Amino acid sequence: MASEAGAAGERTEIEQALLACAAGDKLALRRIYDAQSPRMVGVAQRLLKRRALAEEAVQDAFVLIWRHAARFDPERGSGLTWIYAILRNRSLSILRDEKRTDTREDPVAEELASEEDDPETVMSKLSDAKALRACLETLTPQRRGIVLLAFVQGLTHGEIAGRLGMPIGTVKSWIRRSLISLKECLG
Amino acid sequence: MTPSPDSPDDRQERDAQAGEYVLGLVEGAERIALERRIEQEPALARSVESWRSHLAAIDATARPIPPSPGLWQRIESEIAAILPAAERGRAKAMKAGRTLGDWWDNLAIWRGAAMAGALAALLLGIGLIGALDRAGRQPVMVAVLLTEASVAAAVVHTFADGRVEMLPLQAIDVPPGKALEIWTLWDRSVGPRSVGLIDRARTTPLRLDQLPLGQNQLFEITLEPATGSPTGRPTGPIIAKGTTSQRL
Repeated sequence: MASEAGAAGERTEIEQALLACAAGDKLALRRIYDAQSPRMVGVAQRLLKRRALAEEAVQDAFVLIWRHAARFDPERGSGLTWIYAILRNRSLSILRDEKRTDTREDPVAEELASEEDDPETVMSKLSDAKALRACLETLTPQRRGIVLLAFVQGLTHGEIAGRLGMPIGTVKSWIRRSLISLKECLG
Repeated sequence: MTPSPDSPDDRQERDAQAGEYVLGLVEGAERIALERRIEQEPALARSVESWRSHLAAIDATARPIPPSPGLWQRIESEIAAILPAAERGRAKAMKAGRTLGDWWDNLAIWRGAAMAGALAALLLGIGLIGALDRAGRQPVMVAVLLTEASVAAAVVHTFADGRVEMLPLQAIDVPPGKALEIWTLWDRSVGPRSVGLIDRARTTPLRLDQLPLGQNQLFEITLEPATGSPTGRPTGPIIAKGTTSQRL
């Protein structure tokens, strides 16, 4: 799981598994799958809305994890963030591709996000123990909502602007300023 | 006005860019350029990692959804065709020793290196077929994409379940601001259709969902602007091309 108490221990497990993957141990990949795949499908589902696409993203992510395990460098970051970065990258490219090529009447962009992906609901689920929550609380609800929409649902500047009826330039500068103040708060 | 490398303005700018990148808001050519900088600038890489680890708390709020029972099998059969990273490293080192390294990086040298290239293609081909046999999961059709000098640059595999993927066999030098676009042509009257855009040579699924797929269908890779061909048709030089054949 991408947080909480056991994180340090679990990180080590994932990092060990990644090293084993690089050496060709498929059981190690399976261990990562057992520990992370339900959460990964959940994350991909928030971005992609459709279950089949979410699973496709998770499938591609595991193939990429396997293929590139040797490139994972524990000096540069944790194994868990590495895995989720791969998943998010893959999900976002599927999302952008689908939006570009989808000729169906209900393109992904138009599909409704579930209520639990709504920024304030996400906020309420964020662990109190995390600096992130306290720092997000220093932003106005609208500004943190925009940051969360981008991260949780993978919306672009243009989509956020469209959804909130705001000029795209305003969205861009709000996000930029929100990020700068978040970073100052997070240290 | 050139601020010193570590001025507060620089730091803010760097952190904001890293944050936008991790949020997924940087796209196209800008993203390729930023990823290159992340590789080269440790401070930027640290800022990216710091955003990722803070924002991981948000991913942790996603409701876990048990994957369908078949998902692991699909992953397993896909990776069965891939050599473990360690073996790939050895194969690469071996090949470098035999074919004098980086000739691929230079188009002019390519043309003079047809023999070495053919040898490398042969060695890689054997390795690839061996891996597939071990896997017991074989493509329905294969296209080997050759450069002008008949060097195997990539293969396209089509599978019974409709998936199509391209696997590079060599690194391809992609100049800044450019990308590799993959096209397929099944009917000259329709013309080529783009099925993939990659920033560098890497294995990629091709999107042929709505397109026909048959024997002797042409696949080619061209060098295009980072955001893809502006015309929807190939505009840049052809890097490699080949047609599909049915596996025996």
